[in-house]
Amino acid sequence: MNKKDIMLMITMLLIAGVCYLISNLTRNENGNQVKVSVDGKIYGTYPLYEDREIDIKTDKGNNVIVICDGSVSVKNADCKDKYCVKQGHVSKKNESIICLPHKLVVEITGKNEADKAIDSIAK
Amino acid sequence: MKRIYTCFLILVLLLCGGCSYGKTQNENASSSCDIFAMDTYMTLTAYGKNSDRALEEAENRINELDKKLSTGSPDSEIALLNKNGSGKLSDDTLYLLDKSLEISKETNGAFLPTIYPLMEAWGFPTKDFKVPDDSVIENCFSLFDTDLINENKKEGTVSFKKQGMKLDFGGIAKGYTSNEVIEIFKKSGIENAIINLGGNVQTLGKKPDGSLWRVAIQSPNEGDEYLGILEISDKAVITSGGYERYFEENGVTYHHIIDPKTGYPADNELVSVTIVCDDGLLADGLSTALFVMGLDEAIQFWQNHSEMFDVILMTKDNEIYVSDGISDLFSTTYEMNVIER
Repeated sequence: MNKKDIMLMITMLLIAGVCYLISNLTRNENGNQVKVSVDGKIYGTYPLYEDREIDIKTDKGNNVIVICDGSVSVKNADCKDKYCVKQGHVSKKNESIICLPHKLVVEITGKNEADKAIDSIAK
Repeated sequence: MKRIYTCFLILVLLLCGGCSYGKTQNENASSSCDIFAMDTYMTLTAYGKNSDRALEEAENRINELDKKLSTGSPDSEIALLNKNGSGKLSDDTLYLLDKSLEISKETNGAFLPTIYPLMEAWGFPTKDFKVPDDSVIENCFSLFDTDLINENKKEGTVSFKKQGMKLDFGGIAKGYTSNEVIEIFKKSGIENAIINLGGNVQTLGKKPDGSLWRVAIQSPNEGDEYLGILEISDKAVITSGGYERYFEENGVTYHHIIDPKTGYPADNELVSVTIVCDDGLLADGLSTALFVMGLDEAIQFWQNHSEMFDVILMTKDNEIYVSDGISDLFSTTYEMNVIER
């Protein structure tokens, strides 16, 4: 095996590695979304991999949702029990944060049906 | 030249590996619906051509049961019985009374339908939380005796022999409801379905592609992956833990699973109990009961009833105990011990 062959092989591997990384990253970007609904009606859908803050103001009350670094949490809420804030962060498909008093559901949805995805979460 | 071909082959293989996902298309018709009822959030998913109609029927049934069983709404059957000390109950409510007394007896009072006055003293129903005085707890103890419930089966009436007694079927109502939803699905010819009633999961059949349902169990540890993942069909998976509903006072955390013997939140080695069972109602009641029992008694209880259900326990030390009926179907990153029959 001469030097040129080795160089070629390394270049190929590098290209392959970069392609693999790109396709993986875009999969995440395309795959997971944050679906916010209030009383069964969709309020909005946002990419999980774009940081933002969402102010939800409805006649039931207010919640502030934060999407940051691929995970979602409820930062503030004016509900009585604050369970939605205490639930912390969620980031995986089918995970959700629920604010019962405000009938708010923040759910991670995925376009891609990954082989090993979870169908439901018992808690 | 041969080497170049080899390199190309590697490149092609790597690229294929990177894009072999995301092409699955669901051929089966499926319907889903979300419902806020019973003070919780529910999602129902059914597959097959009758799924739309079945879901509508299920939603009606859920709302019907919610109306009868909600201790929170003042005109429900159960609220009227608690207020008046006597009342006429529908078949659903009488069935829940009988079942809860059965589970209470079997678990030696670890599950107790008469615990409601104590839950009120702790403020859990109204969310006006407070640690009750010892005298209040003592007084509640005197209202626990299930022999003081008078049931007239012919008339369908129930009365309490002691004033102040109150019943709550919250510990099995969701489990009963999920059984009823699955029954409706079966009658509608649905063969594959998964429902989640506020964290209570129940499945019908397998997934439409013939594989098992993958049910994750929430970890009590924050920022954690799941406690584990269970692969099942035709089963209810119901978890109890102190991490879902709780409050803090003077730096102490009090959770909502009260031990009827101490009057305080159950405080033992266990942080999470999952029951896997054909019967959602039984799973619901037992998850609370085994949480109250603690590790040793819970293991013993399973060994005496291993034909009825399976169990996954997690302790404060992050050790997991799984009964041998499901140990092959359960995966976890925690240290796992198999409980033998």
